[in-house]
Order: sequence, then C-alpha cells, then structure tokens
Amino acid sequence: MSAPPAPVLSADLIAMVQRGVSTIVSSCDAALRPSMMRAMGSSITDDGRFATVYLSRKQSRQLLQDIAASGRVAVVFTHPASNRALQLKSLQARTRNTDATDQAVLARYLVAMETEIAEVGFPPVLTRAMLAHDIADVVAVEFEPAEAFDQTPGPKAGAPLDAVRAGDGT
Amino acid sequence: MNKPTLGEIRPCLEGLIPAVIATAAADGTPNVAYISQVCFVDEDHVALSFQFFNKTRANILANPHASLLVLHPQTAQFFRLHIRYLRTETQGPLFESMKAQLAGIASHTGMANVFMLRGSDVYAVQEIEALEGSPLPAPPPRCGMLNTVRRCSERLSRCTSLDEVLNATLATLTDFMGVQHAMLLMLDPVNQRLYTVASCGYATSGVGSEIAVGHGVIGVAARERTPVRIQHMTTAYLYSSAIRSSLQANTPDLALDVDIPYPGLREPHSQLAVPIVSAARVLGVVFVESPHDMQFGFEDEDMLVAIAGHLGAAIDLMQSASEPQETVAAEPSAPPALGSALQVRHYRANDSIFIGDDYLIKGVAGAIFWKLVRNYTEQGRTAFSNRELRLDPDLGLPDVTDNLEARLLLLQRRLKEHGPLVRIEKTGRGRFQLMVQRPLELQEAS
Repeated sequence: MSAPPAPVLSADLIAMVQRGVSTIVSSCDAALRPSMMRAMGSSITDDGRFATVYLSRKQSRQLLQDIAASGRVAVVFTHPASNRALQLKSLQARTRNTDATDQAVLARYLVAMETEIAEVGFPPVLTRAMLAHDIADVVAVEFEPAEAFDQTPGPKAGAPLDAVRAGDGT
Repeated sequence: MNKPTLGEIRPCLEGLIPAVIATAAADGTPNVAYISQVCFVDEDHVALSFQFFNKTRANILANPHASLLVLHPQTAQFFRLHIRYLRTETQGPLFESMKAQLAGIASHTGMANVFMLRGSDVYAVQEIEALEGSPLPAPPPRCGMLNTVRRCSERLSRCTSLDEVLNATLATLTDFMGVQHAMLLMLDPVNQRLYTVASCGYATSGVGSEIAVGHGVIGVAARERTPVRIQHMTTAYLYSSAIRSSLQANTPDLALDVDIPYPGLREPHSQLAVPIVSAARVLGVVFVESPHDMQFGFEDEDMLVAIAGHLGAAIDLMQSASEPQETVAAEPSAPPALGSALQVRHYRANDSIFIGDDYLIKGVAGAIFWKLVRNYTEQGRTAFSNRELRLDPDLGLPDVTDNLEARLLLLQRRLKEHGPLVRIEKTGRGRFQLMVQRPLELQEAS
C-alpha cells in the first residue's frame, strides 16, 4: 500500500490553529495505554503541512517516551468559545529542544489563549497558571499531519477532512 | 509524586472546564476527544457521558485503557487519571442524573441540539497523577457545612409534628445554606405523584400542586432515588416546562381547572432535587433552585442528602407515632357558625372540593375534607382523630404508608391559604378540630 496523500486543511482551519487555540497531545505505548497532556503552545505552517506542539517534560514524561518510541501522535486543536475542533494525526512525530524562536511562539500563544479562555468565562490569571512553564523544561514535537479529522462535537466528530481519504473510513 | 484521591479532585469533575480523554485503537493509533461530563461515582469510579458513536467509542470497546486530563477550575492544576472502561449504563440513577446534568451543560455550551446522552460509561480509576506546574493558591475550604447539618438535626429533633418538621427543614435551607427558593414534596405512592406540602421563596406557595413521578428533575429524583443536580439553565430538557405540562396531563374529566399552579421559577439556572428516603421507601423530594448559574455544587448536594436523611426519619416518625386508640369523646366548645352560608361542592369523580367558586383540593385530602364537613353538618361534630380516618373504608387510604399526616397538613395549609372561614387545627397527637365560622351548605356534584 502506497503512502496516503497528506490531508488538505482549509484556510480557515489553518488560521484557527495559527491564532493559538487549546491544544491537547496524545500518544500510546506498546501495551496500548494512551498518554496525554495539554500543550504549552502550538503552531502550524501556512500550508498546514507542518505542525509544532510544545510540551512540558515534567508533565509529559510518558507521552514523550511514547512519541519517541513510536512516532505516533494525535493532536486536537479546539477553539474554546465555538467548540470548533480539528484533530491531526501522524506516525512520524519527533522531538527537538526549543530555542528563542520557540519562546516567541509560546509568548504569542499565551496572549491568544488568555483572550480565548476569557471569552468562556475564566480570568487570564487562570490561563497563565495553566500554561506556566520554564522554557528549559519545554520540548517541541514536530510532525507532518498524515490524517486530519473534524472534531467539532456532534455526530460528525471524527469525520476525515480530506476528501481523498474519505472512503477509507476512520 | 503526590497521589490524590478521586474525592480530593471533585472540584475538577463539576463540568466547569471540559475534560479530555485519550484512547487508542487496537493498532495503536491514539485519539483525543473532549468529554462533556465526568461524573464522580465513588472513590474508585468515574462515569463519562457517551453521546456519539465516534472514534473514542470504537476505541474503548476494542481497548479499555484510557487517560483523562482534568483541570482544577480555581488553581489551574492538572490531574491525569488512568482509567479502564468497565460498562455502559443506559438506565437507572447514574444515567438519569447524568442525563439531567448534561442537558444543563449542553445548553450552557450552546450545544443543546446535538447533545443527547446515549449512556453512562463507567470506568475504574486506576491511578491519579497530580501534575507538576505553577498552580494558583487553592481557595480556603468551605466551612460550616457540618454545622448546617448539625443545626438541621437539632431543629428536627425538637419537632413534635409534621408541620414543624417541614418548617424546620425550610428554615435550615434558608438560614444556613443560602437557599432562597425551595419546595418539599411528598409522594402519593398509589397515584405515583408528588404533591407540594411546603415551599418558600415563591410568589404563591404552590401547596397542593402535583408533579408526576419521572417528570422533571423532581420526578426523576423520586423515580430513580438519586439526587439530580443542574448547574446551568436547561433549555434542552425543558425541565420546568415538563413539570408544567405534566400538571395538565392528569386533568380529570371535569371542565374545571383543578390544578394548583406549580410555584417554581420560570427561568431556573440551578436546580437540585434530592429524594427523601426512609426505611428504603421514597417519601418525597427536597427541591431547591436558583435564578443563577452554578449555585449548587457537589458539597451542597452532600449536605442536602444528609439533611434529607434526617428529614425522612423525622417524617416517618411523625407519621407512625402512636395515636390514641379511643375515639374522640368530649367535643370542645365551638363558637356557632353565623352569617350567610358557604357553599361546599364535592365532585365524586376525583374528590375535588370547591368552596364557593374556589378550588380547594382533590384526591384523598378532598375526600377527608368531605367526610369532615358532612360529619359537621349532619352531626355537629368538630373534633376528629387520625385513627377514625384510617379506619374509614370510604377514604381509601392505603393500609401502609398512608401519609395521612401529610395529607392533613396539606389540607390544613390549603384551607389557611383559602381564608379564615374554614380551618382545621391540631388539638393533640392524632387529633384535630374543624373550625367553621359560617354555616356550610354541602352540594354533591357529579
């Protein structure tokens, strides 16, 4: 079986992720036990073909081990006020240390999240506590999305976004 | 690492901040999904709302391991729960209380039209991790709850009548729990309806209004014997309108409006109904509500369940306390009734009673009143005993659990609301007196 084509993300979904929205990262070990953590930040390229999520090492030990072992990752991006959500998956995620560029991404992300979470009724002080980190503890996880799914709550949640892959089922 | 218990992280399970679940397919593909509702079942179990046949569903059926991430809504500390899927419940107390709660969450998050509870997925909690971070200071623990339960217990243990028991309970709710709108309802086990016997905080008392078992938060709490707690306005379930319409469902074949309006808030934002259970029987429901969101947390539920337990025991005691065996001998001197006659009409079909044009009461309480006024007009009697009512086959009181005290109290309160001309007053344990200020003209209608 040849490698499936990369999913095509709509411009507005890419824009949603680029704005900075809630990001949850998951993987799984060989015994099929899932691991998971909220990311400290996230970004995606303009064409939607390369995503980066940031994890705190001390909060994500098992998750980082699982990603390192299998390359598997599932990431959900959610806009809190609208519940609009996108799930990206990859089999080839890898980790790297962060640098000053990443620090700027994380700072922008925090500002965006303070606003978005305030929209659903929580003060910025809560968001800052939730996303508080020491940059030395943060690791970047990079991947090219191999699959993308509409994750907005409802009966269509889980439907693949890429028409080319729609026939494969999820 | 610090390992908290599930009880310690209950604030994270109130639905203020959505939880996230990670699952894995049989081939190891992970999946992440938001969960509307995580319900504390007991120290070792949580239940998650199952709403859609989605990837999470497929995964847990194939591989029961899951991971749940929750956030403390005040400190922003993360907790990660390692859980294992056990079973799905599609009926019963857990399912029904989650269904009611979900309706509130759904309307709060603007997802009312897509949220339906298919089942309650029960998971064993295998481990809870408190994650390192920079949490905010925890708010001081709420104090005074045990003291509230103590005050209620003290007040209830001083009571010598059902009337006092109900008043003491409502007073505790308003004095110590900050409750402004409350109702106490008793179950009619024969008709499977709950009738309001006391309330506070409403424009009209609603005493005598009825709700069918199974209808609305009150009816579901009684049917499922479980507390039902809603934290947000519930347009999805239309609980309050369900109650209103259920009042009309049992209208008798009379072209008369014999419904006492349900007194509840038009636009409740928080509601909590707790069954009153004693000796394994449901006696009624304690119901509190508020026009504001998130007024009743899990601690309020704990408190109200404890109070309802005391209340149930007290009600049972008042109903079953020994009564004098002899019939009432001496007639207390009653002032003669003077003035123009009051017309009292009785409709045999449902034992409804009208005084003049005003509807008074129906059902067993109506039949009791009819017996009293007939005795009064035919024999001039004003003194009566509970015992003779129990022995009267015409009243059709069930052998056990007749709730006679509650029905007499209901009648007494309805009469009091109607006016001063006809009243009943307790004159001792198991005894009461009919007090009439005008001559009565009885009319049997069909």
